[in-house]
Amino acid sequence: MKVLIVDDSEAFRKVMIELLVRVGFNDVAEAQDFDEGVAVFRKERPKISFVDMILPGKSGVELTSEMLKIDPKAVVIAMSSIVNKKMIRESLDSGAKDFLLKPTNEIALGAVLAMWSD
Amino acid sequence: MGLFSRKPKDSQREDGLGISRKYDLLPGKCYIVEESPPDLSFDAFVNILSTQDEACAKVTGLAISRQHPDLIKQKYGLEKTPIFWLATRAGQDVISPTNLGILTHTIIKFIEENACGVILLDGLEYLVSNNDFNKALRVINQVNDHVAQSKCRIIIPVDPRAFDSKELALLERNAEKILGAQAK
Repeated sequence: MKVLIVDDSEAFRKVMIELLVRVGFNDVAEAQDFDEGVAVFRKERPKISFVDMILPGKSGVELTSEMLKIDPKAVVIAMSSIVNKKMIRESLDSGAKDFLLKPTNEIALGAVLAMWSD
Repeated sequence: MGLFSRKPKDSQREDGLGISRKYDLLPGKCYIVEESPPDLSFDAFVNILSTQDEACAKVTGLAISRQHPDLIKQKYGLEKTPIFWLATRAGQDVISPTNLGILTHTIIKFIEENACGVILLDGLEYLVSNNDFNKALRVINQVNDHVAQSKCRIIIPVDPRAFDSKELALLERNAEKILGAQAK
């Protein structure tokens, strides 16, 4: 199953890829902002996308909406390094299925993937 | 908010976020999380507080941390959960690291007054450095006895670099161990 990570931090993307491989997801694509995120999403059609809510330029909420316009069945998981309730509600309202606090870990990531990868 | 007024109130319960439960931490259990910084512990604490619980309608939290309460509230969006600062400064929501009696009393009182609580005790290394390991361990064991007789859960992050193997074994003897990312 293809997974996409959209985050402007290369270091965080690397950590996420390591964690995803550790929990059994080897097919991982990555992007650093809205434009690259949309392009990679169109090309790769990932089943699950982890999208940082704070991106340079257009936000993760806008990216979530755009991804779901392209593929309404896609699963988008919002991510952020702070628990901003307003932002989490906005991301869920825009179609994100769940939220992960950064930095994440194997337990939380595994739980999200188990819930949404079927 | 006084130290001894830990009545369970709706006003101390966090609003649900509509996200999923990611940590299956069982009621009546103590969890030692080997990690530094305590990211997993805080994530689990906030996740349990912000999601529906199978055993209880809503879970109430108590955080005791070396980190300043304002920083914790800001980062983790905790608006209602009581947070105590482990520090030597005077203040209403401050617990001195040398006053283990007040610390123990605060936690036990919370357990007695909250049927389904989750407690985060962050700063064990600081407690040990201000007392000694055996005194800090006695606090953990005493609190653990109360947790075991309740539906509460307690999460205690520990930096494994700060303890020797015997001390870690003693801490983990009556607890479930979770390895955080940094400890692997």
